[in-house]
Amino acid sequence: MSPATVAAAIDRVLSAYAELTELGEEIEDEWSYVNDLSSAWRERFEVVAVSAGVAGIDPAADAAIDRAIDEIARITDPHRAIDWLSTFPQVALLALGETA
Amino acid sequence: MRFQDAARDGRAVVYAGIQADPLVRRVAALLAEASSAQRVLARAVMNGETTDVTGWLAMFPTLFGPSVPAGPERTRSDAILAGSLEIAQRGEQVRSQFRGAIVEELTAILLARRTGDAAIRRERRILFDGVRAEIHPYDVTVERDGATEAYDCKWGARGINDDVLHQLDDARSHAADEEEVLRVALVVFDAERSCDVRLARQYAPHDGTAIVPLESLDRLAEVAP
Repeated sequence: MSPATVAAAIDRVLSAYAELTELGEEIEDEWSYVNDLSSAWRERFEVVAVSAGVAGIDPAADAAIDRAIDEIARITDPHRAIDWLSTFPQVALLALGETA
Repeated sequence: MRFQDAARDGRAVVYAGIQADPLVRRVAALLAEASSAQRVLARAVMNGETTDVTGWLAMFPTLFGPSVPAGPERTRSDAILAGSLEIAQRGEQVRSQFRGAIVEELTAILLARRTGDAAIRRERRILFDGVRAEIHPYDVTVERDGATEAYDCKWGARGINDDVLHQLDDARSHAADEEEVLRVALVVFDAERSCDVRLARQYAPHDGTAIVPLESLDRLAEVAP
């Protein structure tokens, strides 16, 4: 099994974030905002991923990312999803030791 | 320009009860001392789906991990988690009201550090000669001769909208018409990045309105917006 890396964790984050974005898109009036918000945070994660390269990730941070992904996987309400489109990236970046 | 208490209609009476809840004061006081990371914790827990303590502890290793020493910071993180969970355990509508009241109380606490308690007022309308009065009150005002400020407060970036931006800018411009300076700001308990995205989609004038995001809350205690 290959060692866990920051890049792999961010891949998982972005995959979960894509599903959250789809849920938020169900609020038609907020469709553009949802996608602009999602793009803005994706760009931030991509910067972190490039900067980290193949760096390993602290096991506690890796577990924190999984826990945050579990949390957003529970969301069924699209309004709540929009709240978390902003909250989830902040939590994940904090786990990675990065700023928003 | 003059200030006036907001009308005490039924909604205002109910909301005043929430504003006066000791839990609001306790959590806001903790957040006034908190780091940005601790404020993100509060935001996540109060927005959260689960109230499982162990899950939240694991989600924030920089606050609760084994490398975090015992001491005031760890104690504050524990207290913020406990208070936030108390709010999260309430029904969706109630916790939404609590979250709003907490941001307002937090704003008032931080502003009072700069201006003193006596200058801070809550739920105030601002009246101008010859201008039809807005019904909606401003969440927090600083009322001092020659140094007045008006704040609206939002839990999340999604709360930024044209109505609130118009309201703040109208007050600022009407004050200017009377040759008064009224500084206006919108306090948002959310990341600056999200606020910027939301703000970019608004048509209301906002060049004269300061946006105070989660990362910059402590500025309220230091300088006028």
